[in-house]
Amino acid sequence: MPRPSRISTLFAGPRQFFFALFLLLAAAPLTAQVDQALYDQGQKIFKGNCASCHKVDKKMTGPALQGARARWEGKGDIYAWIRNSTAYLKTGNAYANQIFAEYNKSVMTPMALTDAEIDAVLYFADNYAPPAPAGGTTPVAAPVGGPQTAPAWPWLLIVALLFAIVWMSLRGVKNQLRSAVSEAEGHGPVANETWWVSLKGWAWRNKAWASVISLLILSYLVVQLWNWAFVIGVYGGDQVQHYKPSQPIAFNHTLHAGKDNLNINCQYCHNSAEKSKHAGIPTANVCMNCHQAVNVGRSEAGTAEIQKIYAATGWDAENNRYTGVEKPIMWNKVHNLPDHVYFSHATHVAVGKIECQKCHGPIDEKMDVAEQWAPLTMGWCIQCHGETEVQMAGNGYYDEVHRRLKENPIGQRELRKYLEDEKITVKELGGWECAKCHY
Amino acid sequence: MAMKLLKTLPALALLAACAGDPDSPGIEYMPDMYRSPAVEAYVDYGQDPFYFADSVVKRQRTTQSVRRPPAGTVPFAADAAKAGFNFPYPYPNSPEGYERAGAELKSPIPLTQATVDHGKVIYEKFCQHCHGVKGQGDGNVVTKGNYPVPPAYDGAQLKDLPEGKIFHSLMYGKNVAMGSHAGQLSREERWLVTHYVQYLQAGGRLPGAGADTTATAATK
Repeated sequence: MPRPSRISTLFAGPRQFFFALFLLLAAAPLTAQVDQALYDQGQKIFKGNCASCHKVDKKMTGPALQGARARWEGKGDIYAWIRNSTAYLKTGNAYANQIFAEYNKSVMTPMALTDAEIDAVLYFADNYAPPAPAGGTTPVAAPVGGPQTAPAWPWLLIVALLFAIVWMSLRGVKNQLRSAVSEAEGHGPVANETWWVSLKGWAWRNKAWASVISLLILSYLVVQLWNWAFVIGVYGGDQVQHYKPSQPIAFNHTLHAGKDNLNINCQYCHNSAEKSKHAGIPTANVCMNCHQAVNVGRSEAGTAEIQKIYAATGWDAENNRYTGVEKPIMWNKVHNLPDHVYFSHATHVAVGKIECQKCHGPIDEKMDVAEQWAPLTMGWCIQCHGETEVQMAGNGYYDEVHRRLKENPIGQRELRKYLEDEKITVKELGGWECAKCHY
Repeated sequence: MAMKLLKTLPALALLAACAGDPDSPGIEYMPDMYRSPAVEAYVDYGQDPFYFADSVVKRQRTTQSVRRPPAGTVPFAADAAKAGFNFPYPYPNSPEGYERAGAELKSPIPLTQATVDHGKVIYEKFCQHCHGVKGQGDGNVVTKGNYPVPPAYDGAQLKDLPEGKIFHSLMYGKNVAMGSHAGQLSREERWLVTHYVQYLQAGGRLPGAGADTTATAATK
């Protein structure tokens, strides 16, 4: 729906209004003083040369640039220090050596910058105005899977009730008419039969109909029972609610792996999927590969979740170092496969070249915390084995299989049989053998 | 008889609890071959929590199965030719170690188009989201996640970075923005990635060869 006017967005709520007012008030004196051209030049140089190790307002690999000039006032030559820190350290400047020691002796790459360019960067840093937060970027994962449509039974119940009311009133009318007829003929009123007695009477008189109807009801109940029994202990798929246990850290898959978001490959974190039976729960050091530098989430809740990684790894975000106090994260296991069936991620990912989403669903688009998308029943497994074509081309293991099929006369006969539907499925290469998975 | 009844009562209570607890995967109603008697990764091995006391189950759940390898051991390599990859890394995680690795460390794998192509596959999974498709530092994490910008591989800062320093950075991480990738990539894989990074350093051609091979690897 299009907005009626721009005014309405500005006055969408008192909070936004005051925020806008604040921005106006804050920006008015600022724009009067800030030299925008110099600021932009400084920002450009900062992004190109400094941003991989420095933040403007926070410590990272190196110190925050904001206030650097003031800190250096009277302590040494900041230009020489920025241009070549190693050379400047050798002059024995006390403040330079103090900074060097404080930041784990990380050496700063020499920068071929002129005095004017350094001035621009420091000007940018000192007058830095943080970009306004882009509101509402956190993707809200819609709940997926399971029965989506509202169940139909309340409507059926209402219709059945209506029928019952109509039927009962008709019966009442019929009984009264019968009594009236009987009284008119001088027999006196007919005793009111209960519906159960009349039903029994009807069944006695129409034995064939009664047996057909009760047989239908009985088979319906048996089918219902059978279907119900099939989803006992099943926690994914179309028929039952997906199993989605809470996790100690509410990791958002959509944010990290979504195509329109950070788009990090699944295997960056689940890196044993290609090599091992297990896809692997990433160890906390994998989180810390990025979260050493990212300590603020897109929302308050996100920041709180990041703090939980710091608590687990013992990371001191203030001073950028590990304290050594660690506390393992106890994740709740989502996909529980019994021991009597063997499943290997490596086989499916590296050899079968199956996409993660084929079994785990739209995890990068619609799920925040992981949930069990596939039912993981045997029927579900072998259905896929029966349909999926084997990726033979350039796939080391199958070169050998292919060679044996082609060289041997029995193999050739088999191959012709496989290729009747013009594809070789997993089933045809033994994907339906019991011992393929149960051993 | 009364004793038996008393024993089943908590079981019934647990049954009710399991049905209502969204964090519970439910009851293992035929537990015979459900759990592995041998130690398995990512399984709270041992007995079914439904049939055993809370204390037993809790101990099993809190037994850590992921361990650090004992100090001074070298992992077994099935392929003897690759055993060298498992030997200890001689350069410490310090500015001096970084310089020494840059000067001394050379790739044990000869750089060819095949290793570059293999490295590209690994690069796409482990590096591209920050360093970008062509190593310009424009991956999604940087552009959409406001992450510190990594320098471009073929820019002034990194163009002439020796292979030893590239490998060292993968081993221990570099600065605060890049963590160690030694846990995610084997040493062989780290060398393969190093080859692809060298390929991007040279602007999408095999370093030394001079021939433009952009068509085979750099373009998607």
